[in-house]
Amino acid sequence: MSLLRQVALGVAGLVVLGLSGCANPPGKPGPGPEVVNPDSIADFAVLYKANCAGCHGFDGKGGAAIALGDPVYLAVADDAVLRRVATEGVPGTSMPAFAKSKGGMLTEKQVEIIAHGIREKWAKPDVLRGADPPPYAATTAGNSSRGADVYTIFCASCHGIAGKGGKASSIVNGSFLALMSDQELRTIVIVGRPELGAPDWRGNVPGKSMSAQDVSDVVAWLASQRAQFPGEPYPQTDKSTGGTR
Amino acid sequence: MRLIETIGKWLDARLQIGETIRETAEHSVPRDTASWFYVFGSAALVVFMLQIATGIMLALIYVPSAGQAWNSLQILNHSITLGWFIRGLHGWGSDFMVAIVLIHMVQVFLFGAYKYPRELTWMVGVLLLLVTLGMAFTGQVLRFDQDAYWGLGIGVSIASHVPLMGSWIVSLMLGGPIIAGATLTRFFALHVFVIPGLLIGFVAVHLLMVIKLGINEWPMPGRIVRKATYVKEYHELTKKDGIPFVPAAVWKDMFFSGAILLAVAACAIYFGPFGPSGQPDPTIIQTAPRPDFFFLWLYAVLSFLPPSMETPAMLIGPVVVIGGLLLLPFIFGEGEKSWKRRPIAVLTILLVAVALGTLTHLATYTPWSPVMDAWSSLPIPAEYLHNRSALERQGALVFQVKQCHNCHSLDHEGGKRGPALDAVALQLTDDQLIRQVIQGGGNMPAYGKNLSPAETTALVSFLKTLHPEGRPPARDAALAHAAGSVAPATHP
Ligand code: HEC
Ligand code: HEC
Ligand code: HEC
Repeated sequence: MSLLRQVALGVAGLVVLGLSGCANPPGKPGPGPEVVNPDSIADFAVLYKANCAGCHGFDGKGGAAIALGDPVYLAVADDAVLRRVATEGVPGTSMPAFAKSKGGMLTEKQVEIIAHGIREKWAKPDVLRGADPPPYAATTAGNSSRGADVYTIFCASCHGIAGKGGKASSIVNGSFLALMSDQELRTIVIVGRPELGAPDWRGNVPGKSMSAQDVSDVVAWLASQRAQFPGEPYPQTDKSTGGTR
Repeated sequence: MRLIETIGKWLDARLQIGETIRETAEHSVPRDTASWFYVFGSAALVVFMLQIATGIMLALIYVPSAGQAWNSLQILNHSITLGWFIRGLHGWGSDFMVAIVLIHMVQVFLFGAYKYPRELTWMVGVLLLLVTLGMAFTGQVLRFDQDAYWGLGIGVSIASHVPLMGSWIVSLMLGGPIIAGATLTRFFALHVFVIPGLLIGFVAVHLLMVIKLGINEWPMPGRIVRKATYVKEYHELTKKDGIPFVPAAVWKDMFFSGAILLAVAACAIYFGPFGPSGQPDPTIIQTAPRPDFFFLWLYAVLSFLPPSMETPAMLIGPVVVIGGLLLLPFIFGEGEKSWKRRPIAVLTILLVAVALGTLTHLATYTPWSPVMDAWSSLPIPAEYLHNRSALERQGALVFQVKQCHNCHSLDHEGGKRGPALDAVALQLTDDQLIRQVIQGGGNMPAYGKNLSPAETTALVSFLKTLHPEGRPPARDAALAHAAGSVAPATHP
């Protein structure tokens, strides 16, 4: 009899367990398709991580490319810049085009979400209160020979004579310059790379900010250092010793 | 009760099969075959019946058209009461069935049950394994999602390697050169008519032979199978020490089959149905599609084989394996049955299991997928960017944008297809690095024209930074000498 009772109890227990499972079984698919169509992802965090973080860093900084989360950068560059660059990329550099219309994988709306999200997440409206930063895009043509002087005043202390490297690395290497657009050089001169210790336009020389003309001139000078055949010949290659692999 | 009995009698008077059924059920089997080792065959049969039942239910809703298949699965998952559960049962049932058939086969192999006079039973069993795999494969295609695409892609690429007839077979399989609507209707017909028909037929023959020839006795070391004497010995054994199959032996089968059904149901409830993963839109490339579990190992083999080996391996491999299985009972038709006296058989099983297990494990790394987006979401680890020159940072960006990260890991993150590059500068000189990225080699694509000289220079200068602190990168001895004696190379 007691065996029977045990069995009955066991069965009852199983039934209860089963019923409780049935109310909300874990295997029941949640609402909506399991895998979202990539086009319909509208979450900034997801989009940023999947598309931008690899080069610009998870937190908008710490990547190899410029920190998009730098409030100073966001105060200088407007939404139109973020949107345009993300859409079209920067040809000749490692910044790819992301919009479908340009061969990328994001819809226009997703680009918009990213541009908007970057600003919402990292911008600090007041960072440049009272400061008068040079404009994001050049308004006047730069003069490269004046630029050489500007370089000596503002940059040589770190980047060495003629930009060949000192405390900070060379910025006139042909291959480096070939992979950077003029605008990017300008952006970096204005906002610096704070996470790397590169100062913005106010910090090169204590107490002495660069003027808009200074910025244009030094960028013109850097641009004039571009090599005709950058990267060629490959450094330190020697045909006679190359047969080991 | 009376009524049922009357109807039964009336039917049997006309059908005349009652006696046969009773005789079959009660036929005498060797006592020690009433063992937990002998339950897999019947469990496979029971799961097969579950598949038929759930399959019919699914077919009521499923629409075998390229445009609507995916949506009809969504309807099953979300709009139909317990539709998701039926899908779960059918999907998990399929995995269980393949697994049980494999286990059954291993058991039969280790117990020598394929030996005389059961050669044909074994051969039909091999065919049953093939059609079961065929069901699993075609079923996965019916899901018609990203994974199905990829699973099918592998199947097709195997078929396309057949010389001369390759493209003909592909278009026969797909209903055209590419995976499209016609493909799905074809696989539907295969999955619900052709292959199940074969399966039922083979099962019938297989069972008939099991009953006629008797269940394999428990192998005793030293009891040798000889064609001349085996049948007589077997009959003596069942007469001397036999028990009726029903009820003495069958309860273990029933218990085990019941447990398996419960396990299938539990998996369906707890893990849910498979997919459907992303919509089968070939323009959506941001997925990491992966075929179903039982075909994963194949996926790994294909990605590992150097291209020149693929064709021969794909053509010869299956012929050797299937041919070997079919011929097995003819080569080893007599002799010792017990696995205790057949070390090579045991070793073979272990070897195959380890190989398949390893390959399956390898295939679970995502970077095998055709298009990969790991590159854009996985930054270069911060310490690899610390104290780098402007040029080296550009090299890191080239590394990202050219998707090197998909195949190569840095600090344990990234693809596993190529070697980790954390210390690559210790092994390769500049020259060798340039050669590797321009010309590729092994399974690495040649980047050649896809890298400008400036990009190559930047990339190599970044790769040169990849060495543990305090250990200098590799240098070409001849070059180092030249550089030292003539002029220091201009450092970037
Ligand atoms: C493969 C690396 C890579 C990825 C991924 C990438 N970027 Fe960039 N990005 C760069 C590089 C390199 C530059 C500098 C280009 C130049 O020289 O002008 C850049 C520049 C930019 C700029 C312009 C900075 C300036 O000078 O004002 C913006 C804005 C930008 N990226 C946004 C994005 C967004 C948004 C995403 C994600 C959708 C993204 N990037 C993904 C590499 C990348
Ligand atoms: C206080 C020192 C300092 C001064 C002054 C300075 N830089 Fe830099 N700069 C850095 C450091 C640090 C880095 C990042 C590390 C490196 O590249 O060695 C850097 C990086 C750069 C880069 C490369 C950014 C990148 O994304 O790779 C450029 C271009 C650059 N500086 C230009 C300039 C120019 C032009 C000036 C003068 C207007 C200037 N810098 C003045 C310290 C300085
Ligand atoms: C499709 C996958 C794949 C991609 C993408 C890829 N590699 Fe490779 N890589 C490999 C494989 C596989 C090997 C091993 C080749 C061999 O066996 O010789 C390899 C080898 C190497 C080696 C030699 C490593 C050593 O220790 O011998 C270097 C360096 C390298 N790759 C750099 C790169 C760079 C840089 C990129 C991006 C431009 C890249 N790889 C992209 C697969 C890939």
